[in-house]
Amino acid sequence: MQKLGDYKLPQFFNYPPYFTLQPVRDTREKQIQLWKELILDYCRTQKIFVIGLEEDFPLFSNPVIERSLSHEAREAFLSILVSDGRAEWLDKRHRKCLILWHRIQEWANIILNFVKENGLEDSVMTVEEIRSGIESRGTELHGIDRTILMRALKLLEQKGKLAIFKGTTADDEGVKFSI
Amino acid sequence: MRRRPGIGGLQNAAAARDQYRALGQNVAQIRTDLMKEQLATFKSQLEDFARKHKNDIRKNPAFRSQFHDMCTKVGVDPLASNKGFWAELLGIGDFYYELGVQIVDICLATRPHNGGLINLQELCNLLRRRRKNDREAVSEDDCLRAISKLKVLGNGFEVISVGKRKLVRSVPTELNKDHNEILELAQSQGFVTVDEVERRLSWTSGRAIDALDTLLDEGLAMIDDGHKDGIRRYWFPCVSSISTLVGADT
Repeated sequence: MQKLGDYKLPQFFNYPPYFTLQPVRDTREKQIQLWKELILDYCRTQKIFVIGLEEDFPLFSNPVIERSLSHEAREAFLSILVSDGRAEWLDKRHRKCLILWHRIQEWANIILNFVKENGLEDSVMTVEEIRSGIESRGTELHGIDRTILMRALKLLEQKGKLAIFKGTTADDEGVKFSI
Repeated sequence: MRRRPGIGGLQNAAAARDQYRALGQNVAQIRTDLMKEQLATFKSQLEDFARKHKNDIRKNPAFRSQFHDMCTKVGVDPLASNKGFWAELLGIGDFYYELGVQIVDICLATRPHNGGLINLQELCNLLRRRRKNDREAVSEDDCLRAISKLKVLGNGFEVISVGKRKLVRSVPTELNKDHNEILELAQSQGFVTVDEVERRLSWTSGRAIDALDTLLDEGLAMIDDGHKDGIRRYWFPCVSSISTLVGADT
């Protein structure tokens, strides 16, 4: 089985036609399904939050069989993820895609659990602390994409679980939890 | 002076005929009895044999296949009914019904990938993987037998020969001769190109494209435009061993 770092690639990754967008509908649906699962799973295990369509994303080409996905195919697979609510385009020209292997709501729940487990119910933290502080080390929040974190925090703010403070720069934005 | 035929002569002739008939019937009777006796002996021997080698029949696929051959020769079908002597003795009916269900299952699970046409070898491998907890080994012969039993459910399942390989068809697609020839051609590399089909089979371009388009529509082929020479390849999951990918992890 071919591997990418320590990631075990599925067998279809070695079958050349899966790198060409299939013209027949049923076949294409199956193809898209397999790619969708692969992209989500790979991003989850490798903690990848953003895929750039024009960059060298490891899944987009397989040197072993000398195949790579066309731009059209990349956009097609990611568009399906977007319509499933598992991804979002970061720009209008569809060049960068935010991958949500956890939906925003799920990230919000992870934050709530994190706060409860660390007894931070009434505390103040900066956004940077949540992303890279000692408390979050070893949790899923460590190294989380800033865009996703802010979206989850805003969702919690709407529910009255916390308040977001604007700082002078983006770096010292903070939150006050009130759970 | 020779006697002219009279009533006595006619009666004599009739009596002789009756005697001949009686004798004939007797002989026939004896022969039938003998035959019946031989068959009964044979059947009981076969039963003894089956009883004695029950474990071998259940566990050893080669032995099982030979036993089936022997049964066919004497007109006994151990799979004809799940009730009765054979099934009770060997549990062999259940074995094949179980295989049948698993084969249907695998064919359905892999259908999105291979379009409902699967290499018999591949099918066997998947079957073995699924049954790995089971002690009893499964041979290709067993698969074929189980599939032949699936025919009673209608025309859904069929084994077709393409070149040296056997493929199991689980969709009602009619594959014509052209399609078969393409599949056969694809067996060496797993794919064909339009040009290759035209050249190797001496077809016109239209005929090749037509047949390939049908195979695409049926989900039996996939296109690949990614090769650096820019020539479109038509891949056939049913002849490539890659088709194990579905069913294993879903």
